[in-house]
Amino acid sequence: MELSEYVQKGFQMLADPGSFDSNAFTLLLRAAFQSLLDAQADEAVLDHPDLKHIDPVVLKHCHTAAATYILEAGKQRADKSTLSTYLEDCKFDRERIELFCTEYQNNKNTLEILLGSIGRSLPHITDVSWRLEYQIKTNQLHKMYRPAYLVTLNVENTDSRSHPEISFSCNMEQLQDLVGKLKDASKSLERATQL
Amino acid sequence: MLLDLSEEHKEHLAFLPQVDSTVVAEFGRIAVEFLRRGSNPKVYEGAARKLSVSSDTVQHGVEGLTYLLTESSKLMISELDFQDSVFVLGFSEELNKLLLQLYLDNRKEIRTILSELSPDLPSYHSLEWRLDVQLASRSLRQQIKPSVTIKLHLNQNGDHNTKVLQTDPATLLHLVQQLEQALEEMKTNHCRRVVRNIK
Repeated sequence: MELSEYVQKGFQMLADPGSFDSNAFTLLLRAAFQSLLDAQADEAVLDHPDLKHIDPVVLKHCHTAAATYILEAGKQRADKSTLSTYLEDCKFDRERIELFCTEYQNNKNTLEILLGSIGRSLPHITDVSWRLEYQIKTNQLHKMYRPAYLVTLNVENTDSRSHPEISFSCNMEQLQDLVGKLKDASKSLERATQL
Repeated sequence: MLLDLSEEHKEHLAFLPQVDSTVVAEFGRIAVEFLRRGSNPKVYEGAARKLSVSSDTVQHGVEGLTYLLTESSKLMISELDFQDSVFVLGFSEELNKLLLQLYLDNRKEIRTILSELSPDLPSYHSLEWRLDVQLASRSLRQQIKPSVTIKLHLNQNGDHNTKVLQTDPATLLHLVQQLEQALEEMKTNHCRRVVRNIK
């Protein structure tokens, strides 16, 4: 993992028991994870009384360094030995390395879900609703007497967070065609997962 | 059910007995063609010259015939009702038979054309699908994320529209299940009873 000098400096400060005692270290670490993973977190995450004695510039630097490192580790799917190696290079003592790795392990899943959800993709179908009707007449055509379906696909756009809908009508044969093709797709999926 | 023909309509149709039955058949063909493609006034002029009448007369004749055919097709009136409706016009037996034949021959197509006039939603045409597995993205490496990409082909007002969408395996199964239930619905007693009794 390639990390900048800024991150390295921040971690070196974090490693120093003179700048950060055990309690402060844990708090800062937790704050870093919280800022990244908790949707409700805000700037006040560093406003703990036990962190007040530390120079705010130093606090911000270390917090940023930790957050940057956590994201990079998550992105690269770093394992415990990779994490330990880097932290050793930054002069972390054994206890702090263990603490970091435990905290990382606890938050790993949430981190990976978050990272995996970032990015562009096609509009995503989330649900379907349908309506069956029996058409009797229109003002242009009487005595129709045929069934028809109205299908609505609920779609989500990952970027704009918009929820457009796609609606279309179809008769029985067309719906059978649609369902047949979707079933083919899901059978293919089943077969692929068994390979 | 009998057709209700207005006085104006009857006047327009009064032109028909004055010409040969081949001409009436030709007018019938023109009427259906106009329903398919839209009207073309030049045709009226050509016919007017050949028959030595004003093009207005020809136009009214064709339009009257068109209306007769579309109204009968719309209401899906029976042969007997058609004959009775036309009877009031006082045409010859031969002309009546010709008109009936015109109606029966073109009814199905005219009804298809009329059905295109109803409020239109996009309708299903076809669907293509593809299985994908996402392996990595800029923000996360070493992924195995299966997904299904779908290209939905829709028609609306003659235009062909495609939508490209994606879904995950769980939702795909859910879609199949829901839509199969929709198809099953037609086979229930309730729906069968409705179809049987509303005619």
